[in-house]
Amino acid sequence: MNSPSGAPDKAAAKQCLLAADRFLKESRFQEARTEIEKAKKLDPANVYVVAFLDRINYFEAQKKKEAGPVAAAPPPVAPQAAAPTPVAVAPARPAAPTASAPPAMKPAPAAAPPKPAAQVVPPQPPVVTPPPAAIASTPRPKEVSADPVPTPAEQKAMEATLEEMKRQIQMLSHSLEVEKKAREEMTNQQLESNVRQLRNSFEKSWMNGAPNDAEAAELHKLAVSLSIPENVEQSLRREVKLKMYSNAVKEVIAKRQLLRSSSSTFEWLRKVYQVTMEEYLEYETKFLLDLVADQYKGTVLYVSPNVKTKDELIPRLKSAGYAVVLSGSPEEALEKIEKVNPNLILCHTEFSAGSLSGIKFLHLLRATVKFNFIPFILLCQESEVAQLQSSELRHHEGFLKKPVDVEELMIAMNEKLAHFRDYVSSLS
Amino acid sequence: MSKKILLAEDDEDNRDLVSFVLQRSRLGAELVIAENGQEAVDKAIEHLPSLILMDMQMPVMDGWTAIPILKGDSRTKHIPIIAFTAQAKPEDKLRTLEIGCAEHYSKPMDPEELIALIRKYLAD
Repeated sequence: MNSPSGAPDKAAAKQCLLAADRFLKESRFQEARTEIEKAKKLDPANVYVVAFLDRINYFEAQKKKEAGPVAAAPPPVAPQAAAPTPVAVAPARPAAPTASAPPAMKPAPAAAPPKPAAQVVPPQPPVVTPPPAAIASTPRPKEVSADPVPTPAEQKAMEATLEEMKRQIQMLSHSLEVEKKAREEMTNQQLESNVRQLRNSFEKSWMNGAPNDAEAAELHKLAVSLSIPENVEQSLRREVKLKMYSNAVKEVIAKRQLLRSSSSTFEWLRKVYQVTMEEYLEYETKFLLDLVADQYKGTVLYVSPNVKTKDELIPRLKSAGYAVVLSGSPEEALEKIEKVNPNLILCHTEFSAGSLSGIKFLHLLRATVKFNFIPFILLCQESEVAQLQSSELRHHEGFLKKPVDVEELMIAMNEKLAHFRDYVSSLS
Repeated sequence: MSKKILLAEDDEDNRDLVSFVLQRSRLGAELVIAENGQEAVDKAIEHLPSLILMDMQMPVMDGWTAIPILKGDSRTKHIPIIAFTAQAKPEDKLRTLEIGCAEHYSKPMDPEELIALIRKYLAD
């Protein structure tokens, strides 16, 4: 039904399409079809008429499917032969995504005809876009139509859908990441709290020395119940043990004048706290610092073949305020030197066969930049004195002949340390 | 019931040190403190300890006076007493044994030695 002039009545056709859309929304398919027929008569070239018929057929079929099995699929709509002319039309209601792909709106031709000048509202193809809620739940790209070459509008729609999906995947990934972090933080907090609880129990049990077997078993049970890994438990036990031992050392230092011997007291404490020799050596400097806290003069690395037997020089050095770290050979001293960082090295000249001599050890240190300036005193045999004085040593290296006079040694050590202090001060 | 050890000592540092050593000895003994001889006699009668460590030089009443009192009292005469003193001369040691001490221990102390001595008397 064209206008009296015979020209297509686009406005009336548009009204029919809008009415059809309303009927479609109310599932009044027959009435929607009637409106479409009217629109077709008013504006035969309207491309959306065919597209609209497709929509009606599709939704009608869906409706029937929902109600029960459908006998036959909706009849296909013949493609429009004439070149479509875009018309102003309200955007169609978005189709809900389904498992089977909805028939796409009949795509606009690849080469769209020029838009009439009178057209105010640009034609907006009713793009089938899944509602956001549907995307969020099951994003699903629109199935490609039978046409192997998608139109730009279709491509655009698909790209938009893909973009939306990407965005949602990113959001989900981010949320998962945040949740994972929160869980990790909670786990860490729980572990920290458990470790704190176990530490308190350890401290209570180790306060006065190593716990007995029953207490130790209880502590282990507690660690297991708190899901604390065994390596953490062991490390915690060692840490607490050394802390308690150190506290005990500090406590007796204050009363050392009441003790017959500081060294035997510390030996006893090592037994009480089950501090192994290895642990003691590792922490010796710290412990000895506690021992001579009010008179600490420095750390001496004492390299002597007699460290494992009784060496009367050791208690003398300790009582003079030096922290003494022992090594049985120059090789052992080389292993300890970086850890100990001694203020002075006191070394015998002769060691067992296969070991470096004290003199070679000194030469080795002097050839190493890091240890070049550590004050060093050799304790040599009387027969070696002449030899040492003549050429082997630089003039400022110190040596004393054995048996060592402790007073003489103390003077020599003080001189070396004073010289070293002056040297270090001159660097700044 | 844990065994009790009575320490009669006027010097606080010494008391603390003995307490420190006993705590770490894991003897499981309870330490009762007296700051002079008179208090030692009173607390010995009150607690009937398994062992008494008695400093010989104390205010109010010294160990030389307190020990004969304890040894003369039927309730406490069986309790072994270790004279805990800085007096290390042989005649001092002899004198403490004469008045009824089981042992004479010279200060300054050696923890391990002291514990061994205490353990010996607690075991009896």
